[in-house]
Amino acid sequence: MSSISKYFSGLFTGIKSLLVGMSVTWKELWTKKVTQQYPENRDTLVISDRFRAELTMPHDENNEHACTACGICEMNCPNGTITVNFKMVETEDGKKKKVLDTYKWDLGMCTFCNLCVLTCPSDAIKFENTFENAVFTRDKLKQQLNHEGSKMREKKKVERPAAPVAKAPVVSEVKVETPAAEVKPAVVDTEVKAVVPEVEVKPTVVDAEVKVELPIEEAVKADKEIEAESKDETTEK
Amino acid sequence: MQEPLEISNLTTWLDTTLRGIMPSMWVILIECVLVGVALLAAYAVIALILIYAERKITAFFQARYGPNRVGKYGILQSVADMIKILLKEIVKINRVDRFLFFAAPFFMIVASMLTFGAIPFGKGLHAVDFNIGVLYVTAVSSLGIIGVLLAGWSSNNKYSMIGAMRSGAQFVSYELSAGFALMTIVVLAGTMQFSTMIEGQRYCWNLFNGHISSMIAFVLYLISGHAETNRGPFDIPEAESELTAGYHTEYSGLQFGFYYLAEYLNMFIIASIATTVFLGGYMPIQVHGWEGFNQVMTFIPTYVWFFGKTAVLIFLSLWVRWSFPRLRIDQLLNLEWKYLLPINLVNIVVMVIIVLSGLTLTDLFPSLF
Amino acid sequence: MAEQIIFYILAAIIAVFSILAVTSKRIIRSATYLLFVLLATAGLYLLLGYNYLFAVQVAVYAGGVMVLFIFAILLTNRPGADVKSELAVRRVVAGITALAGVAFCAHIIYYNVNKVMVTVAQSELTPQQIGHTMLGTDKYQYLMPFEAISILLLACIIGAIMIARKR
Repeated sequence: MSSISKYFSGLFTGIKSLLVGMSVTWKELWTKKVTQQYPENRDTLVISDRFRAELTMPHDENNEHACTACGICEMNCPNGTITVNFKMVETEDGKKKKVLDTYKWDLGMCTFCNLCVLTCPSDAIKFENTFENAVFTRDKLKQQLNHEGSKMREKKKVERPAAPVAKAPVVSEVKVETPAAEVKPAVVDTEVKAVVPEVEVKPTVVDAEVKVELPIEEAVKADKEIEAESKDETTEK
Repeated sequence: MQEPLEISNLTTWLDTTLRGIMPSMWVILIECVLVGVALLAAYAVIALILIYAERKITAFFQARYGPNRVGKYGILQSVADMIKILLKEIVKINRVDRFLFFAAPFFMIVASMLTFGAIPFGKGLHAVDFNIGVLYVTAVSSLGIIGVLLAGWSSNNKYSMIGAMRSGAQFVSYELSAGFALMTIVVLAGTMQFSTMIEGQRYCWNLFNGHISSMIAFVLYLISGHAETNRGPFDIPEAESELTAGYHTEYSGLQFGFYYLAEYLNMFIIASIATTVFLGGYMPIQVHGWEGFNQVMTFIPTYVWFFGKTAVLIFLSLWVRWSFPRLRIDQLLNLEWKYLLPINLVNIVVMVIIVLSGLTLTDLFPSLF
Repeated sequence: MAEQIIFYILAAIIAVFSILAVTSKRIIRSATYLLFVLLATAGLYLLLGYNYLFAVQVAVYAGGVMVLFIFAILLTNRPGADVKSELAVRRVVAGITALAGVAFCAHIIYYNVNKVMVTVAQSELTPQQIGHTMLGTDKYQYLMPFEAISILLLACIIGAIMIARKR
């Protein structure tokens, strides 16, 4: 007896649930369409700021960039996408110094992992969300990021009291000469993060740490501390 | 003429003019060829329209726009797809049973074509009017499954094979229910001929005439017909996630096109048979006694009525398709053998009782219908 | 005229595919050829105007029996993989026997069919007529055989269930 009633109750609950399902899809039929009509909606298209589409090297109005040609980005790139060509020049005070010649980046090889940007001690490169990168030949994917005739931003300029405040923290770190700069990155790195809120913190930091030969735990701890106090620090500087 | 928009006016005119200028044997020959060409053209055109409609409605169910690039609102999309599929290479597969591999799609397309030919599209738009119409349709449509089974076997591919086995089990089971549901209505209508069946539904559709029993039969027919077309929640034979494409995995180009076409046309055929048998076919909506209303309704040509009713049923089938998740094979067979078939058998007995004891609507309220 | 042409085409199809069905080594092909034979037979019924018989032939033999045949073949493992050719002597003997059978039957049919059979101009057979003949109890009506076959089929179903349930 119970099996018979079970059969019929199962039948009717089944039919009822089917009707409920169909009513749900019926409502869905009249909902607003969510498809982005891409080429037409170009003007109103919103691409997230954090979307990584193209590596760029920001130049200021004097055609100057912040790259010290240290090559950390090149070393960190898992695919060998970046090639930093530098030349040695002698400064007025007789020191030898690396100067960026050409900064080559191959879009076709890039996996957009962001390691280069995270590890850059001088915040010289960043990813833009300009995503329309389709070209007709593969050669066009190989780009040179530093502009023609550009040069590195001089530190003296920054040390002047009248210098723009925004770039101050970064450049003060960069100011230190090359051998010292090798040690510093851990700090700089975290500061970069304080400015640009990043999601994939851990792996990148670890990677950077290996390069700088600092214990990992310490770095992570420091990283967290700094991130907590990031606001205060930036204002202090 | 009372119905100026009917195509049958044109065909009658064509027939009389042809008979005026040549002997009747030639007329019959020419008319046979013309009917064949017209049916084939209608077959292809309906398939194109259905593919477009399905893609659009599917998109709407998923809050998308669907095809909207080729032509206005993407209206030429399926034409473009057809041209593409016609131009595609037919890939030669190694170590297949070549004869069966090439023969299989033809079984499929011939079966659906034979069924298609027996559908009354409108007054005078009925290629063959057998006195066993319903039986003919169920008999001929059962040939399609042989195409599926042979395709699965001859492809020399385990996915095709499993797909074919599932399809066979499913089709053989659900064919039974579909046949019984149609027979229920044959009991009610007292005829198997489509034209008389439609004429008998002038004032009261079979769906309402046999009230409870007819409604149950209608739902059962829609479910089992839907299952026969291998679509919607019953698509385990070609479950993409498990079997790539099931029995037509190895087919390409035009041969795949045959399966694709037959699938869509089977959906149309199921809907149109349901229309003819349950919803009065091409007969306009007529109410007893309302002469003016009937006049207006008759002015709308019969083929519009037919395609309108069929379109509603096709929409229903798409709605079901995008509402429910795919059934497992045991659930599928449980549904048929433990639910649909017993209900069907009881239902046909109930229908016999209703007809014999005069409980149909036309018997109960002779003045209304 | 046209009917005769169609008849000869159908007859040729039946003859050719019957021979192919028994000579093919691949069993699934044999089944397909047999299917063509059955369909051509259905075509003959259609030619004679026996619509009902045509539909039943297609539904039962082509759509039912052959689907089950093919389904069963699909369940077998490498069917026909180790079929060996018969000895030449046996083949010849079998061929002669078959031809003798054909000759015997042809002789009987050719000389006797006109004596026994009378061709009647049959008006179109309606399903109602068939139904009444099947389920009537008068002379030339067949309720008894119909019910006997029903019982036979019932016995088959019960037997099948018994075999399937045996553990």
